[in-house]
Amino acid sequence: MSYKIAAASSDHINIDLSFGAAQAFDIYEVEDGRYSLAERRIYNAPDGCITEGCGSLGCGNGGAKGCGGEGNSPKVDMLSDCRCIICRKIGFNITKQLEKKAITGFDVDCTAEEALEKITDYYSRLDAHKSLRGFAKEDLRQDF
Amino acid sequence: MAKLLDKQRYKCALGAMQTVQAITRAIPILHSGPGCAQKLSDSTGGSGYFSPNIFPCTSINEKDVVFGGVKKLHSTIDNALKVIDADLYVVLTGCIPEIVGDDTQEVVSEFDRISQQERFEEAGGDPGKFVYKPLIYASTAGFKGNNYKGHEQIIDAITDQYLKRSDDRQKGLVNIWADVPYQDLFWLGNIRELEKLLSEIGLIPNTIFGYNRGIENIDKIPHAEFNLLVSPWVSVRNMKKMEKKLGIPYLHYPTLPIGAYETSKFLREVGAFAGVDEQKIQKVIEEHENYYYYLIERYADLFLENRVINKEFSVIADAQYALGITKFLANDLGLIPAKQFITDDTPKEYQAAVREEFKKLNYGLQADAVFETDSYRIHNEIREHDYHGYPLILGSYYEKELTESLKGNYLNIAWPVQDKVVFDDFYAGYTGGIRLIEDIYTVAVQRFN
Repeated sequence: MSYKIAAASSDHINIDLSFGAAQAFDIYEVEDGRYSLAERRIYNAPDGCITEGCGSLGCGNGGAKGCGGEGNSPKVDMLSDCRCIICRKIGFNITKQLEKKAITGFDVDCTAEEALEKITDYYSRLDAHKSLRGFAKEDLRQDF
Repeated sequence: MAKLLDKQRYKCALGAMQTVQAITRAIPILHSGPGCAQKLSDSTGGSGYFSPNIFPCTSINEKDVVFGGVKKLHSTIDNALKVIDADLYVVLTGCIPEIVGDDTQEVVSEFDRISQQERFEEAGGDPGKFVYKPLIYASTAGFKGNNYKGHEQIIDAITDQYLKRSDDRQKGLVNIWADVPYQDLFWLGNIRELEKLLSEIGLIPNTIFGYNRGIENIDKIPHAEFNLLVSPWVSVRNMKKMEKKLGIPYLHYPTLPIGAYETSKFLREVGAFAGVDEQKIQKVIEEHENYYYYLIERYADLFLENRVINKEFSVIADAQYALGITKFLANDLGLIPAKQFITDDTPKEYQAAVREEFKKLNYGLQADAVFETDSYRIHNEIREHDYHGYPLILGSYYEKELTESLKGNYLNIAWPVQDKVVFDDFYAGYTGGIRLIEDIYTVAVQRFN
C-alpha cells in the first residue's frame, strides 16, 4: 500500500517549520515501507493572507478560512492526499481540520529522516495488523 | 483473566487511582490516554482536594506511540511537582505506554533522584528546609487485571519504593487493611468501625485511607506489631510482601465481620493473635452483644412475622461482601442462602479457600458460591432458581431490574451503585450488622405499605 507524507522543512533535513509558517511541504511517497522524496509542494496563499507565516498573529481571514476561521484552511485542502503531516508545531484548529480528513498531524522536534523512519515503521505495523508491543523501545524496533 | 460479555462489575487496573485518591494528600499522575481518568471516575463522593478531573495526565496520543511518551511523562511529572501541593505522588501507567514499552519506572526513579537532589540544593542543603516529595510508580495497565489487582499494585509500590524496614516496633500498633476504596461503597465507614473495635480491646489501629490519615500513617506502617487483613483474597499478596520486606507478620481474617456472631469471633481471634487478655475481650464483646440483642429483641416481632422477609437470598458482589453478608444473614438472621455469586474475578489460587469459607455457616448450613463475572449467566441462574417465594437480592445496580421482574426485595450493596448514597455508613461490626438489618427491612416492609 502506498501513501504520502508531507513534511514541513526548510532544508529537507530538519523538521523546523510550524504548519502555519511552512510555505512549502516536502511530499514523500511511501511504497512497501520505503520512503522517497516525490515533490516539493508550494503553497500559494490566497489574497489578503499574511504570507510570512501568521504564527501567533492569526489573521482570521474569513475568505482564506485559515487561522481560526470557519471551514477548511486551503493549506489543509492542498495536503488532503497525504496520510500524515510532520511539522514542528500544529495549532489546535488545524489539527481538528486534519482529523476530519483522517490525516494525522505529528508535531515533532527531530530530523526528517528520524521522523519518517518511525512513522513508516508504525504504519507498516498498523497495515499488517502487527502488534505495537515494545514500539517505544529503540532496540526492539530495529528487530521488526 | 476473565472473559466478560455483559455488564462488568469492576474497572481496569488503572481504577486504582482511586486507591491513591483515598490516601489524603496523595495524588496519582497518570501516564495514559486522555479519557481514562474521566471514564474511571464515575462514582460519587470522589471530589475534594484532589479529584479525577484534575489528576495530572500525560494524555498520550498517536504521536506518543510513534515517538515515545517518555518526554511528555517527564514534563508532566515535573510540572505536577511544581504546581500540586501533595504528600505523595504516584505515577500510574495505562495500557498504551505499557504496550509500546515506555520505560516509566526508569523515568520515575531517575526523576526522583535528580529532583530530590535539586530541591535539596535549593534548600541550601538544610534538611530542615528541604521538602521531600515522595514519588513512586505502579504499573496499572488495564490488561494486567482489574482494579482489585490495581489496588494491590499500589500497596506493593508503597512497600517496595517508599517503606523501609524498622526495628523500632510500637507495642499494640496494628495496620488494618480491608476494603478497596471507592470500589467498595462502605470503605470509609467500615475501616473506621474496625479501628474502633480494635481500640476497644486495647490495640492501636493504623490505617492509611480516608479523613485525617495520610503520609504520617504510611510512615507508621513499618513500626506495627502486625498487619491485620480483613478480606478474602485482596491484598494477601501485599501482606506476604510486607512480611518478607518489612518483617511484619500478618493475620488474615477472610470474612468481613458483620453482626454479632462474626464480630465476636473476629475480636477473639485478633485478640488471641495480639496476646490481649481474654477477659478484657470478653467484656468488650458482652457490652456490644447486650446492646445488639436488646435491639434484636425489640424487633423480634418484625423478624417473626414470616410474611415480611424472604425465605432465600442471593448476594451478587465481590468476595468481601458476598462472604460477609452470606455469613451474617445465615448466622445472625437465620435466612437460607441460595446460590451466591462472586463477581470480582477472584484469582484461581484463592478460589478454593474462598469457596470453603462459604461452607462454614452455623446450623449445619452451607452456601453454594460460584465465581462468575458474566452478568448474563448470573441473571439466568437467578431467574431459574426456586427461591420458594420472592427472592432477596443484594447486589449491584444491575440486579435492580431483574429483582423487580421477579417481584423480589433488592438492596444495592456493590458496585455499580446508583440506588444508594453512602457518606460514611458501614456494615462492619455490631453496629454495621444493625445497619444492614435496617436497610434490608426498610426495603422489605415497603412491600406492605
